[in-house]
Amino acid sequence: MPDLIARDIEKQLGAAQVLCGVSFELQPGEVLALLGPSGSGKTTLLRSVAGLERPDKGKIEIRGKVVFDAASGFEIPAEQRGLGLVFQSYAIWPHRSVFENVAYGLRLRRASDAEVRQKVGDILKRLGLDHLADRYAHQLSGGQQQRVALARAIVYSPPVLLLDEPLSNLDAKLREDARAWLRELIKQIGNSALYVTHDQTEALAIADRVLLLDRGQIQQEGPPEEIYGSPSSRFTAEFMGSNNRVEGKIAERADGRARLEGKGWSLWGKLQAEKILGATGTGLVRVERVRMVDGGGENHLKMQLTSALYLGERWEYVLQLGDLRMRAWGETSRPAGEYWVSIPADGLWIF
Amino acid sequence: MRPTLRPFAVIGVALVVFGPLGLILYQSFLGEAFFSPTARFSLGAYRYVFTDSGFHSAFGTSLLVSFGMTLISVPLGSLLAFLLVRTDLPGKKLLEPWLLVPIFLSPVVLAFGYVVAVGPVGFFSLWTKALIGRVPWNLYSLYGLIVIAGLTHVPHSFLYVSSALRSLDPSVEEAARVAGAGPWRIAATVSLPLVLPSILFSGALIFLLGFELFGLPLVLGDPAGLLVLTTYLYKLTNLLGVPSYHLMAVVALAIVALTFPLVYAQRRMLRTAGRFAVIGGKGQAFRPLPLGALRWPAVGIVLLWLAVTVLLPLVGVALRSVVSQWGEGIQLSEVLTLDHFRELQGHPNLIRGILNTLLLGGIGGALSVAFYAAVGLAAHRWQSRWVSFLDYLVMLPRALPGLIVGLAFLWVFLFFKPIAPLRTTLFSLWLAYTVVWLAYGLRLISASLLQVKPELEEAARVIGARQGKVYRDVTLPLIRFGLVGSWLLMFMMFVREYSTGVYLLGPGTEVIGSLIVSLWGTGALDLISALSVIEVAAVGLILFIALRLGVRLDA
Repeated sequence: MPDLIARDIEKQLGAAQVLCGVSFELQPGEVLALLGPSGSGKTTLLRSVAGLERPDKGKIEIRGKVVFDAASGFEIPAEQRGLGLVFQSYAIWPHRSVFENVAYGLRLRRASDAEVRQKVGDILKRLGLDHLADRYAHQLSGGQQQRVALARAIVYSPPVLLLDEPLSNLDAKLREDARAWLRELIKQIGNSALYVTHDQTEALAIADRVLLLDRGQIQQEGPPEEIYGSPSSRFTAEFMGSNNRVEGKIAERADGRARLEGKGWSLWGKLQAEKILGATGTGLVRVERVRMVDGGGENHLKMQLTSALYLGERWEYVLQLGDLRMRAWGETSRPAGEYWVSIPADGLWIF
Repeated sequence: MRPTLRPFAVIGVALVVFGPLGLILYQSFLGEAFFSPTARFSLGAYRYVFTDSGFHSAFGTSLLVSFGMTLISVPLGSLLAFLLVRTDLPGKKLLEPWLLVPIFLSPVVLAFGYVVAVGPVGFFSLWTKALIGRVPWNLYSLYGLIVIAGLTHVPHSFLYVSSALRSLDPSVEEAARVAGAGPWRIAATVSLPLVLPSILFSGALIFLLGFELFGLPLVLGDPAGLLVLTTYLYKLTNLLGVPSYHLMAVVALAIVALTFPLVYAQRRMLRTAGRFAVIGGKGQAFRPLPLGALRWPAVGIVLLWLAVTVLLPLVGVALRSVVSQWGEGIQLSEVLTLDHFRELQGHPNLIRGILNTLLLGGIGGALSVAFYAAVGLAAHRWQSRWVSFLDYLVMLPRALPGLIVGLAFLWVFLFFKPIAPLRTTLFSLWLAYTVVWLAYGLRLISASLLQVKPELEEAARVIGARQGKVYRDVTLPLIRFGLVGSWLLMFMMFVREYSTGVYLLGPGTEVIGSLIVSLWGTGALDLISALSVIEVAAVGLILFIALRLGVRLDA
């Protein structure tokens, strides 16, 4: 039985349709990332699950128990859903100490003082916060606040942990550490988690499965490798990673592949949409798939290198062939001039 | 509070607002006082009032005073706001709290202070006469009234314009500066035009307050025979010998008919005001505009206004309270005495009045804050038509001068027999005060509630706290400082209140403000000055505590 089921969730806010029929399931122990640009409805979806927003249509079940059903007008209020939620701003209560913040959920559940002390003590220790129990929010660093928020949300063992951009308020450096640490922790406690983020790297790193949302609709759903490696829609392809885009006409078609042709160039790629011969098509290829090579061959182009930018851990080459522009990455500085560039056919998706 | 309980808060407010107002309406259509057994439906009261030339001239005077004071306080208040918010005026941190002081001073005390300071035989008048041989001003005139009303209402305009200026993006001024404009030119062509909606809003507010003036025209207009609508209403009491309640009801309604549209217009203006604002990055550090050589003249303007509006009347009151008599040819050092304060002890009603005032301010103020907080929490994050109804509901008391609310509650307690015994207790006053200050109090509460980020409450809900528990464990603890601040502000407002208690004044319900009003009729200047000093001292003490605690006065 899934921990969480959402069916055809629709929500209108003012004139905007924020969610247009989103459905998903969350399996026990699974980390599901809701990924999407701002305005895609991911936070609204999470808040609907939490009970902080009331969807216009749809149904939500937690561990087999219906908590919301628009058809019958049934709704269990947020405080009775028993979920754990980590807010983007952490929402640590400034008038309570770390200990009292974390203990609140246990006290509401009428745990004995001994039990509160033991459970809160355990969780604070586990998150490395035990020495901060008497501090207040304003005495904590961002990373510590984030861990307090997490401790507060998991201390009473909610069936599902909801996380709303929990790392977005951390410094870039801290964020990378927290990413690995957070995934490890969730896996350790064995909780299922719904994780909202706009940061694709974070989603790919942390989730078992990614749900890509755009304008209130699911664009693609699957394991991180699939979302990144074989996008089924142009939106997914363009949203993920760093891309080169080429515009041309379909000149040839053969078993799922097509040849895209432009002024002075032609490239084979994977056909990802129904296209007739002669139709215009857009080819997308991740920048890291484009390579500088020594000589010609299939899908090799001779391009003019116009500038090489130093990005620290790598160089970025800007290449030009007529109106075709490509970016590629490499390890060395290269002077301007003509170079052979390989664009692998299985890495070029044509939409 | 469970969502199902919330409408009751709105219904409670509706009851205390509509009850008294309904009674005034009912009374206005009777031929005599409502408790008279022979009272019948009649339009006679309307006919009498609307054909009375006294009413016409009072209406004309009210209109003139409103216009005149608006023309004085809006430009001056806007100028002071610009100087204090946007420029490097020397000592502005020190000056700023003083600018709001007149709001916390009772107008009747201020008016009395002007009489004894610059009236025909006031301290400063006689000193000036001794110096130059004549008194170059006449306090008891329409112009005197307008100038003083205008000067004492500068803080209201300052309040709105300065808060708008604070949220103005400083880069629009810096752009003008870089282009070559000096500070006065920037004020006139950039800053003030950009906050024009707020300036107009404060103008509408002051125009409205002009119709509600009571203490100033009562004290300053009387000797010159000038009546405004509120003092006309007050004088009606004694006009016919018998309680002329029906006439008073009509005059009260006439005042509300004038003020309510103004309140409504203000509400509309406030809604559009936001659209004009150029909001800059929050907490953005900016360099105030340097005034250069103009700094000292600018400080001079602020100090001069303070001296005339605060210092002059207060010095007058203080001096009057320590002299046995005053007139031409009297040396100050020869008449100094503390007898007036001792004399208070011989008047048990005055001593009771002082205690009642403090009780009503301290305990009553706390109870009112509790009531406002209950209403504010009921409306807090509640999407409902009840809340928009409440919004309109609190507009009504704003259109009701304290004098009329007090009158209406007197009638309520006379009319509804079961609560009649409460009329002679402080409860009647407390209820009237709470209604008079309803809009102000709710604004204080909602300003505090706005500071509470919604996630802090949502976090408690998700963890499992019911709405009532969320308020108890999260919302209320987070706004506790705001509640203390609101209490101190209500304390001051209740201590300085004078008009609301005028009609409810009786044994057991004496307060300093309404005692001063009634003593004014008897000419007991000695007692008035002593009471005034005590009132100002009480307000001053609370103000000092509030400022030390860092309470914002400009709510």
